[in-house]
Amino acid sequence: MKKIFAIANKELSGYFRSPIAYVVLIVAVTVFNVFFFMIIDENQEATLRDVFKVMEFLFVFIVPILTMKVFAEEKQLGTMEFLMTTPTTHMQIVLGKYLGTLVFFTLIMCWTLPYYGIIKFFSHPDTMTMMTGYIGIWLEGAFFIAVGLMVSSWTRSQIVSAILSYVLLFFLYFASALVKYTGGFFQSIIKYLDVMGHTQNFIVGLLSSSDAIYFISGIVFCLVMTRISIDTRIWDNI
Amino acid sequence: MIVSKNLSKQFGEFEALKNVSFEIEQGEIVGFLGQNGAGKTTLMRILTAYLPSSSGQAFVGGEDVSLNPLAVHKKIGYLPETPPLYPNMTVKAYLRFAAQLKDVGVKFQKAQVEHVLEECRLEDVQNQVIGTLSRGYKQRVGIAQAIVHEPEVIILDEPTNGLDPIQILHVRELIRKLEHKRTVIVSTHILSEIEQLAKRVLIIKKGEIVVDSNLEKFLIPDDRKQIFVKVKGEEFHIEQAVKDTNSVKQINIEFLGEDIYELHLENTNNVAHYGELVQNFIKYGIKVIEIKEKKGTLEEAFLKINK
Ligand SMILES: Nc1ncnc2c1ncn2[C@@H]1O[C@H](COP(=O)(O)OP(=O)(O)OP(=O)(O)O)[C@@H](O)[C@H]1O
Ligand SMILES: [Mg+2]
Repeated sequence: MKKIFAIANKELSGYFRSPIAYVVLIVAVTVFNVFFFMIIDENQEATLRDVFKVMEFLFVFIVPILTMKVFAEEKQLGTMEFLMTTPTTHMQIVLGKYLGTLVFFTLIMCWTLPYYGIIKFFSHPDTMTMMTGYIGIWLEGAFFIAVGLMVSSWTRSQIVSAILSYVLLFFLYFASALVKYTGGFFQSIIKYLDVMGHTQNFIVGLLSSSDAIYFISGIVFCLVMTRISIDTRIWDNI
Repeated sequence: MIVSKNLSKQFGEFEALKNVSFEIEQGEIVGFLGQNGAGKTTLMRILTAYLPSSSGQAFVGGEDVSLNPLAVHKKIGYLPETPPLYPNMTVKAYLRFAAQLKDVGVKFQKAQVEHVLEECRLEDVQNQVIGTLSRGYKQRVGIAQAIVHEPEVIILDEPTNGLDPIQILHVRELIRKLEHKRTVIVSTHILSEIEQLAKRVLIIKKGEIVVDSNLEKFLIPDDRKQIFVKVKGEEFHIEQAVKDTNSVKQINIEFLGEDIYELHLENTNNVAHYGELVQNFIKYGIKVIEIKEKKGTLEEAFLKINK
């Protein structure tokens, strides 16, 4: 556990030392701000529903930028050889890195909390719905990060890592659009994989165990896959 | 301490290691020597349980590297070929991180880091970001990270790469200090270095071990020990004295002036004493000025092996 924190801490402080992370932070916060006031102005509603949608869409763009380096850079620098020859299990490495990225992502999300304060100040929002909404998009982001981490573990190249992550995240994000072109069993799989459908329930205040299971099992699956690709040093073999 | 049994490693069709076997005792300092691409790094990666072998077994401190990598990782300190450094971290933060991952107790981390900072002469740059260090300093940080947890076995892949001569001496000192307490493997293709660093040499050629020998013995093979003798006397007498001596054969004689000759002799039996020879010189009234054993250089030996 100590080692997981040590790695998470290194990862997190790595973000704060890199310019990319600041760019992501600034872009994310700016986009949130612009859309927040546009949406509030347009809808005149005491909810963050549409703000959440913007956040979701933005996550698809920023998560690959956050995760592309996580493993790819270690391999490029040769530090993967260092990590893998310390008495640290591969799972500890994966969890430490996941945790570090997740915390940074959560910090980005925290920048949207003032919106809740603003809405609360001017009207009476439904606190419960807002909370489930936050949980939903946080889980979604956590899932995206797990996907990005997995992809980053496949390659030495940050660019390849980013591009593959975009492909996978776009697929998850726009899966619903593909549903009508498919049929049968395959269709039901795509319907299930579609990430928006699951987040949507959280945003409108519906908590269901099946949605939670979708995200959690997705995260676990990706982390296990990440571990397997480290176990097999897949980047050396493809 | 380190045992390798018939290790082989294939990369696709290519055989990087072929049936490599050796044993290294605790406290030994062993040098892996070989040309570029000989397989030194690959062998070290297998011993450190970073790469799996294709066949054969390896043990470090009694632990099988493929079955129990974590136990092996606890025992070893490893400097990979490219020093594994995070350019954005400071030297101190990085060594701290290494200590954390290498099971150094929380209470001892600070002291251990300071200890290796001093030992690798890094105090002056401890708060500098690694990316801005010079090549040699980076190498030293790499060495520091390898020994921060005082491992039993130290495996250094080209530790002196990029160091200046004074630093090379220093690394040698550092390694010598570890002798007897710790088992050390260093690899290099710089020949003179291995003479300074190691006591035993394993020469790897195209994935095979072609020499496994004590360095002294390797440099002066017993059966072809050559000596140079400087004597003063008459040439005829000198040559007669040599002929009378069964244990040596004359290779060459050179006149140096003023009745002084230098003889180049070969020892024909394996005994390394020259009593008989000296007695014969005295019998003929020849003065012995100097007897010198010719030491082979590693360069010669290496070139011969790699022919
Ligand atoms: N991952 C890999 N895939 C394919 N071939 C590899 C791989 N790693 C090493 N090799 C090959 O194995 C051989 C041995 O490489 P290795 O790095 O062990 O040599 P070395 O003795 O350390 O050389 P150097 O002195 O240049 O460091 C080389 O021919 C190299 O190309
Ligand atoms: Mg090498």
